[in-house]
Amino acid sequence: MLFTWFMLTGLILLFAPQGFTSKFQLAFVHIFRWPLSIGGSVALTARTQQSVEGAKQRSETQHNNYVENLKQTLNEQTRELKRLYGLYNSPVWEGADFALADVITKTIDGSRGELTIACRKTEGLMTGQYVLGDESVIGTISEVFPQIAKADVKLVTDSTSWIPVEVAGLKNTLRGIMTGNGDNSAKIGNLKEEVKVGEHVFALKQLKTGGFLDAPIIVGKVVRCERNTQNASVWDLTVEPVCDIQKLDDVAVIIMNPPK
Amino acid sequence: MRWLRFAALILTVTILQKGVLARWDTKPDLLLIALVFSATYFNTSDAMISSFATGFAADMIGSPMPMGPHMISFGVFGTLLAHLHRVIAIRRMPFQALAIFVTGLLVGVVTHLLAGEPLSRSLLAVVLVTSLYSGFVGPFLVAPSAWWMGIKPDRLRLRRR
Repeated sequence: MLFTWFMLTGLILLFAPQGFTSKFQLAFVHIFRWPLSIGGSVALTARTQQSVEGAKQRSETQHNNYVENLKQTLNEQTRELKRLYGLYNSPVWEGADFALADVITKTIDGSRGELTIACRKTEGLMTGQYVLGDESVIGTISEVFPQIAKADVKLVTDSTSWIPVEVAGLKNTLRGIMTGNGDNSAKIGNLKEEVKVGEHVFALKQLKTGGFLDAPIIVGKVVRCERNTQNASVWDLTVEPVCDIQKLDDVAVIIMNPPK
Repeated sequence: MRWLRFAALILTVTILQKGVLARWDTKPDLLLIALVFSATYFNTSDAMISSFATGFAADMIGSPMPMGPHMISFGVFGTLLAHLHRVIAIRRMPFQALAIFVTGLLVGVVTHLLAGEPLSRSLLAVVLVTSLYSGFVGPFLVAPSAWWMGIKPDRLRLRRR
């Protein structure tokens, strides 16, 4: 009888809306934030020798990503200028707002890649919005908890993540959908052209509500390009994020056309 | 049965699993080890309750996986293991290691199936490595857990039915 009751409880939790049950998970993280953060500090202490190098590498990564974003923005704007034969003077982020947030927990484990962030403001936050880390897209908002000012971020390497991207092929700029692979990588499948290893991959605006961008933003770098095993006429890319999630302490959520 | 001590043990293990161990790439599943410990050292009804409780704790730190899969899989396999232990003693370290490994594989697969996740190669590899690691480390954690619970680890005697 007891077994039946427990199984029933498990099934109720399983079929209950995840938005409701995840509040319990967040509440646990929130209540035990201090011992959890101590545990994290103990693990990080073992890496102290790398921390100075890590800080230098991170600012260099940030700078390089910023430069690549500027170059891509410049190319996009030049194309538009040529097309419209007019003057262009709108700043890239006109009509956009940012919600800054601190990273509380990171779950990068097998096929899962998720962050829990503490937002300084939740107004205007919604699922699907892009999240920036070190000037690059690292994921999208998967769940918002306005009552406790927190949100979950699904990383681009999560197996359920998919975002539209573009990458420079040998001849043309290619567009495709990037899906997470787990293991800190993602893939872009069925591209018509080969792509050089090392090419940067840029996130585009999403057709669904939330994830809008005025210009492509860097998200990763191609580490492997091989022919599709089922259709040799197309190419599959393996992409690694340009941002080191393990060293990330804060992020920014892009809110296009924020509510006034 | 000292439920307060058991609750403290599970809470500590949960915090360790979510805190320190979360930053490791490859790690043992301490909650799995606690499951096998409770299934082999408690009586059947206490083992069943503690299995479901351990599964609930695993669900609490299982984000972004939904709640429920861990509770069900831990509860079912913990109860099965408790009943199996009535027939085959699982007190020696090699048998404990094997029990942790096999239970880890079964729990891992069923949990991901219940959560609706496809069983990719990388996922199965993670489940396998975690079970192996837990099986290796687990038997060494049984003695301190038994001491904390006030149980004398008797390897030569089957648990009273």
